[in-house]
Amino acid sequence: MSVQQISVFVESKPGHLSRVVDAFTEANVSVRGYSASDTGDYGIVRFVVDDPDRALQVLHDMNCAATKTSVLCLRLEDKPGELARVLKVLSSCGINVQYSYSLISTYICLYVKDLDQAEKLLADQPVELLDQEDFLHMTAGIA
Amino acid sequence: MIDITEKGAALRAASEGRFNELPVHNPDVECCSRERIRAIQLEKLIAQVEWTYERVAWYRDQMDEMGVKPSDIKCLEDVRKLPFTDKHALRKTFPYGMFAVPLDEVVELHSSSGTTGKPIVVGYNRHDMDVWNDCIMRLVQMAGVVPTDRVQMAFGYGMFTGGFGLHYGLQRLGCMMIPAGSGNTERQIQMIQDYGTTVLVATPSYAMHICEVGEKMGYDWETSTLRVGLFGGEPCPPGLKAEIESRMHIVCTDNYGLTEVMGPGVSGECLAERDMQHIAEDHFLWEVVDPETGEPVADGEMGELVLTPLDKQAIPVLRYRTHDLTRVVTEPCRCGRTSARMQKVRSRCDDMLIIRGTNVFPSQVEDVLSGIDGVTPHYRIVVDNETGLDRMVVHVELKPEAFSDSFEEMDKFRKHIEKELKNVLLVASKVKLVEPGGIERSFGKTKHVQDLRK
Repeated sequence: MSVQQISVFVESKPGHLSRVVDAFTEANVSVRGYSASDTGDYGIVRFVVDDPDRALQVLHDMNCAATKTSVLCLRLEDKPGELARVLKVLSSCGINVQYSYSLISTYICLYVKDLDQAEKLLADQPVELLDQEDFLHMTAGIA
Repeated sequence: MIDITEKGAALRAASEGRFNELPVHNPDVECCSRERIRAIQLEKLIAQVEWTYERVAWYRDQMDEMGVKPSDIKCLEDVRKLPFTDKHALRKTFPYGMFAVPLDEVVELHSSSGTTGKPIVVGYNRHDMDVWNDCIMRLVQMAGVVPTDRVQMAFGYGMFTGGFGLHYGLQRLGCMMIPAGSGNTERQIQMIQDYGTTVLVATPSYAMHICEVGEKMGYDWETSTLRVGLFGGEPCPPGLKAEIESRMHIVCTDNYGLTEVMGPGVSGECLAERDMQHIAEDHFLWEVVDPETGEPVADGEMGELVLTPLDKQAIPVLRYRTHDLTRVVTEPCRCGRTSARMQKVRSRCDDMLIIRGTNVFPSQVEDVLSGIDGVTPHYRIVVDNETGLDRMVVHVELKPEAFSDSFEEMDKFRKHIEKELKNVLLVASKVKLVEPGGIERSFGKTKHVQDLRK
C-alpha cells in the first residue's frame, strides 16, 4: 500500500530547486505534495508525484543525486483532532515519525523506519490509506 | 608479440609484465647503465656551461660575482657551484635578454601564461626543436603510441608549450595530427567518431568532461576507436586517471615539463609504475634540493626539483628552480628503462597552505577523496579567517549513488569524510557536500584553492 516518494539532494542556492521542478514540468510529472528542508549547506527535497518512475528517470538524466523511498500516505477527515488521532496510533506503539508533511487537501505523507508495522496499525483505524494509483487522478480542493 | 594498436593491449601486456613487447624510443640512452648516462650528462654539462657563460650576459655576471668559471665544472656534483635561476630572472630579461643565439636562428617562440606581470618568453632553434621532438617521442611511446596513430589534440595551441610541443613530436613520430584545439566538446566527440581518432591529448579535467558529455550523448566509449589519453597541463590525481581509464576504456599517462626549461617532455609515465615518470636524463640534469636552503636532500627524499637542460641552445637555463616538490629514484624500472624516475608532482612549494600552523597540500585532500566511495575526485578548498581563526572548508562532490533520503545518513557520511581528512591533514576542516557536477570543471590549470584570508 506504500507510495514511492522521490528525494533529491539540492544545494541551498537560488535556482537549484526550481531546476528540479522545471524538469518535472517538462516531463509532465505532476507534484502532489512536497517538503523542502535544509541544513544551511544543502537540503533534501521530497516529492510525492503521480509517476515516480518517470520523475526519478528525469532526475537521473540530469545527473541529480536522487532516490526513491517508500512512505505512507493517508487521507484524513477535515475536522479538528484528526491529525492528533492518527499520530497517536503510531506513538502509542512506540513508532517514531521521522518526518511528515501534508500533501494537497487533507492528505498527509509520513515516514517511519518500519513501514509495514505502521501500515498494519493504521489499516485497523478509521483513516484512509492511499496507494500509488490514487495519485494519478487526484485533484485539490475537495475535502 | 601483442598488437599494441588493439584497444587494451598495452595495459594488458603491462599487467602481465611483458614490457619487452612495448615500444622504447631510444633504448641506447633510456636503458643504458648509470655510468654511461652520467658520462653523457657530464660531457654535455661542461659544454652547456661554456655555451651559456660565453653568450648570456646575465649568467656571466652571476658566475663572475660568485667566482665560478666554466672550467670549474669537472664532475656532475660541480653543478652546485652554479647559480640558481628563478622565474624572476627570466621575467627581468623580457623578452630576449636570455637568448644565446641570434633571433634569425630562432624558429619558434612560446611563453608561459603570465598570470602575474610579464610572461616568460622562450625561443627554440632547429636543434632545440629536435631535442624537444625526441623527448615527446619517448613519452608518447611509453603509453603505447605508434606512428600509425591518429591523434586529436584537445589542448589549446597558442603560446602555451603543451599544444605545439606535443603536436610536433607526435607528427615527427609519424602520427596523423588532428588539431582540434580545446573546447566545443560535442564536436570533439563527433571528430573522434568521424576521423577514427585513436589518441586524445587533453588536460585530465577536460578529458573527464569529454567523457561525461560523450556518455550524455549516448556515445559508446567501449567500442570507440580511442585507445590512449595523453594528459598534461595540470597535475592528474590518480583517482581521476583511474576513473577516466575505466569509463573511456583507454590507457592514460601524463608527462611533466615546464615552459622555462623546454615544455612538456622532461619526464613521462611508463606503464610499470604509474606514480613515477622517467626523466630524459641525457637532456636534463636533475637535482632535488631543500626548498628553504637550496642544499641537496638525501637520495630519494622529497624536495624541490631543480633542472638544468643539457643541450638547449636558444635559451640555456642553469639550475632552474621549478618550485615543484618530488623525489627521484635511480633504481632500474620494471619496464626496462634505467633512467631516473621522479614521483609525479602533486604539489608545489607555493601551493602549500598553512592552516592554523599546519602545512596542508591540496594533493593530500585529493588523495583522501580518491579513497572514499561516493564522492567524485573534484573538490574545492576555501580558506577564511573571518572569525579570527583559520577555517578550511572542503567542497566535495557527491556521487548520485551515495545519496540517501536521510539527513542523519548524509551527515554521517559528511563527518566520515571530515574524519578521513583530519587523519591525513592533521588539522580539522569542514566538509560541504555539493551536488553532482557542482564543482566547476576547468580546462586549463585547475584552481582548487580559494584563500580568502585577510
